[in-house]
Amino acid sequence: MSMKRYVAVRTIQTAVLLMLILTFLFMLFRLIPGSIADQMIFQGASPEAVAAFEEQWGLNDPLHVQYYHYLVNMAQLDPGTSLHYRKPVLDYVKLKMFNTFILVAPGVTAGYLLGTSLGTIMGIKRDSLLEKYGIFPIVGVGTTPSFFLAIIGVIIFAGWLGLVPTSGMITPQVALEMGEDAPWWKIYTTGDFLWHYVLPFSVIAIKYMYEPLLIMRTSVVEMAGQDFLHYHKLTGLPKARWIRHLGKHAIIPIITFYPISLGRAISGLVLIEIVFNWPGIGNALVEAVLQSDYPVIQFVFFLTAAFVVVGNYVVDIVYGMIDPRISIAD
Amino acid sequence: MSLEVGGIRSLKDRFLIRDVLSGLRRLMDDRPAKLAMGYLSVMLVLAVIGPHIAPYPYDKILFSEAGQILRAQPPSLAHPLGTTSTGQDVLSRMIYGVRPTMITGLLGGLIIVTLGGMVGITAGYLGGQTDNVLMRITDFIYSIPLIPFAIVLVGVFGIDFFVTIFIIGGILWRGSARVLRSKVLQIKQRPYILMTKASGASTPYIILKHIVPNVGSMVILFFAMGIGYAIIAQAGLAFVGVSNPFIPSWGVMIRNAYRSGLVADAWWWSLPPGLLISTTVLSAIMLGRRFEVLSGQTDDAMLEMG
Repeated sequence: MSMKRYVAVRTIQTAVLLMLILTFLFMLFRLIPGSIADQMIFQGASPEAVAAFEEQWGLNDPLHVQYYHYLVNMAQLDPGTSLHYRKPVLDYVKLKMFNTFILVAPGVTAGYLLGTSLGTIMGIKRDSLLEKYGIFPIVGVGTTPSFFLAIIGVIIFAGWLGLVPTSGMITPQVALEMGEDAPWWKIYTTGDFLWHYVLPFSVIAIKYMYEPLLIMRTSVVEMAGQDFLHYHKLTGLPKARWIRHLGKHAIIPIITFYPISLGRAISGLVLIEIVFNWPGIGNALVEAVLQSDYPVIQFVFFLTAAFVVVGNYVVDIVYGMIDPRISIAD
Repeated sequence: MSLEVGGIRSLKDRFLIRDVLSGLRRLMDDRPAKLAMGYLSVMLVLAVIGPHIAPYPYDKILFSEAGQILRAQPPSLAHPLGTTSTGQDVLSRMIYGVRPTMITGLLGGLIIVTLGGMVGITAGYLGGQTDNVLMRITDFIYSIPLIPFAIVLVGVFGIDFFVTIFIIGGILWRGSARVLRSKVLQIKQRPYILMTKASGASTPYIILKHIVPNVGSMVILFFAMGIGYAIIAQAGLAFVGVSNPFIPSWGVMIRNAYRSGLVADAWWWSLPPGLLISTTVLSAIMLGRRFEVLSGQTDDAMLEMG
């Protein structure tokens, strides 16, 4: 399979997958016992408002027409209006998405950097004390639920030591003082934000050290046995440069895993967001479920799934370019 | 192949029993495996008899001699792990919590490994269009984020303990399916399998007699990991509040401690259940892993879960 064909096939597969997810969501929300109209009446909407709502969203149309409109709307990134907040879902979710991203992306990246470095050291210094006993706390972290890790962090650093706040992204006073017309990004530049940021960030970094560390350790151990590295050792190459040679090859699996982890972390860290009451999409999702805010649920769920799919897609394409054997094999 | 003793095949010659017995023997010689097995056995025993040996019923509200509810009391002799903010004995709740955790793990792990094994082995061995369809389904499942999916489903269709386990199992089989498929792809090219095929053996016969035993230790590893991940996922859902709050699982305990606002002060309430979750998960995964290592199979399955 040529490279071009490989990219084309993967692109079509990804598009089909996204379509499937959309279809699945469409069906799911029509299987829900009780219609959205019932929900609205329950929430106190007048019959006229319900009729207008049904008309507006074409809820009286046959299913295939609804399905078609639904796909068109989603393709135009127009997921509708939040039933609870009465404003466009996209506007509501955009900021939540940003809050999640600003926490998750640096956190996971820091975890990967730490894990890769530690994994390299452990792989090189096999049978050292670090390698033998250092692995226990790491595996311990790996098998601890993320939300519990976050709670331990809160107990120690917010409760006992009182260094950081227990939850939230910003102190309400600080946000109020800034006034209504401050630009939306202003709060992210304050020290107060940073103060709230440290603990969740660290918890995510520690949680995400586990996978790259284990992968890197195995990878380094496997690489170190290769002939060319033995040769480099014989030529008397300085240790630092030898490690660089080794690292360049050993790191490839990490590069593969990183975007996948990142895509999954967006949804996987819902629980950490809830512990810290971080106003990201995880909290938005739980809130929306409690309020039966279907447009929001639908869109947030689609977003989290899309991140995983797109993450995998990017990996496959980039990997296919780095190592063309992959694209031929599949 | 099998020794015929007086026309009756001795039980020990059945490959499954023979393999399991020798596997267990090997495990008992391994210290980490023995530790993990011991721990899990204690948990299993507690799961069965726990409610009978717990000092108090899990939902009993305790009063002091002066008639006051014992709210969030720190550990003492009468209550080794203190009490909750609603005056319940933490230790008793922990002991009661073993049963739902073990049910979650065993049932979840079983669903994961059954679905994953069936899909993976079928796809790998049959190949062609079957493989293609099954793997596209697996891809689709891979794109579903577990926790949000479970929150949406449970939040919409109602809160039930067993529903959460089925949702978890219905998603997490994907990792084992992929790894088992690639394993089967390698195995099916081995000469003895090709020979069996050439001599006219049926597909079910080859799969049961030659493929399954060869991926057996990996299936066990996935079962063990499935136990671990099902427990973690279930605890997470209980923490969010989308699992039955009246079943006193450890996840629900942590949720109650967190929601009470006392999580930073009443450490005796939230730390023990959390630590028990991690040690239980750790033991299950360690046991599966030691089994795999001792059986001499590769270790590339470790990260393909979730």
